[in-house]
Amino acid sequence: MESIGINWQLLVAFLVNFLVLFGLLTAILYKPVLKMLDERQAKIKESLEQAEKIKEQMSRSEEQIKAAVVAARKEGQVIIAQASQIAEKIKEEAKDGARQEADVIINKARAEIKLERDKSIAELRSEFSNLTVLAAEKVIKESLDAQKHLKLINEVLDQSNTFKRN
Amino acid sequence: MSKLGCSSRLMVILGIIVLALFLTSFVMGPLGSKFFNIQVPKNLQVSKPFVQLPSEPIFHIGGFNITNTVIASWVTILVLFLLFFSATRKMKIIPGRMQSFAEVVVEGIYNTIEGVAGEKHVRAFFPLITTIFLYVVTNALLALIPLWGTWGPIEHTAGGTVIIPFLRAANTDVNLTLSIALVSFCFIEYLGFSKIGPLKYIDSFFQFSALGKAFGKLFKGDAKSFISGFAFGFINIYVGLLEILSHFIRIVSFTFRLFGNMTAGEILLGVMTFLVAFIAPVPFYGLETLVGFLQAMIFAGLTLVFGVMAVTSHHEEGAEQH
Repeated sequence: MESIGINWQLLVAFLVNFLVLFGLLTAILYKPVLKMLDERQAKIKESLEQAEKIKEQMSRSEEQIKAAVVAARKEGQVIIAQASQIAEKIKEEAKDGARQEADVIINKARAEIKLERDKSIAELRSEFSNLTVLAAEKVIKESLDAQKHLKLINEVLDQSNTFKRN
Repeated sequence: MSKLGCSSRLMVILGIIVLALFLTSFVMGPLGSKFFNIQVPKNLQVSKPFVQLPSEPIFHIGGFNITNTVIASWVTILVLFLLFFSATRKMKIIPGRMQSFAEVVVEGIYNTIEGVAGEKHVRAFFPLITTIFLYVVTNALLALIPLWGTWGPIEHTAGGTVIIPFLRAANTDVNLTLSIALVSFCFIEYLGFSKIGPLKYIDSFFQFSALGKAFGKLFKGDAKSFISGFAFGFINIYVGLLEILSHFIRIVSFTFRLFGNMTAGEILLGVMTFLVAFIAPVPFYGLETLVGFLQAMIFAGLTLVFGVMAVTSHHEEGAEQH
């Protein structure tokens, strides 16, 4: 044992050395580096998960957008249909209104015409009676024969505006 | 082209210098002087390698002899400390060069251990196995620096002049290899006791449970299987004793494998330098670098494998096979 140098003092010294190195390396190498490696692994995992999440979100929002577009298109179509219906209605209403108005106008015109006619008939009648009175005066004043009678009437009529021969 | 020609000419010149150095040192060395009968001045001779197994004390602290191997191991610890302290002082998520180096070392060893021991046990094994590896490999590689084994007072003895170096390859001290072997042994047995339970661990040697099963058969009246079970139980106990002995022999084999390899390497380098002072030892330095790595790997790897064997009991192994 002596010849190869086994010596308990040295053995203890080397054991202490080894344990010191063990402690030192644990403190300055293993702990920080393993912690860092774990941290990095966690970070990579996290960012991968995040990327996955973002991807999912993106596809979800894309779907949402697609759905929204479809819904908007549908809505537009509905609106257009409604609008055309309303337009139809308005057209219809306008037509009715116009017809009614026309009727009103026509009625009014008719009434006016009637009024005018009545008025002119009344005027005519009054003038005619006046004429007749006038003619009767003349007849009474002069002797009446057939020839004179006819002449007279013609004279009277010529005097009236309405029955004047042209 | 001219650049290439220049560099090839340089190569030729270098080759001639190397060859001249080799031939001169060969002729002037002990081999050449025997052949050519040349007397070389004494102060140009390389001294004969002197095999000194115990390390030499350099100074004393109290009752303790501080030998050159102890100093060398301090230097190793200091080098490792400075290297990794500077690397891990400011840890960043995006590592710098030194931090990358530390991470590569740690991650490489970590993954290797994980490959052998599995994810469950890797954290238990990692610190000690890595420390053994780094300690042994750094001891071995630092010892190849010329400062080791050459720098120190010269002592004149009856055999000739001998240098007592301040630094000597730390792995060539049997106390150092024994200390790591003891740590390794204690670690393995501790793991066995703590990871699979003390009773189960002892049982993994002796298979008492199999013997108990045999007695169980006896109570059931199955005498035939009791006898065979009883006999096998005794064989198992004998095997268990042998196995315990083998666990202790591991200490010896750990100690002397490293000590022997490293001491042999030092002697080989000394002999080569003695025979041909220049050029010829260079390949052997390369060889010793490799041996240093290899021995560190073997020491750490065997501790790992024995530890894995300890934490996976024989029952588990059997269960895995079925």
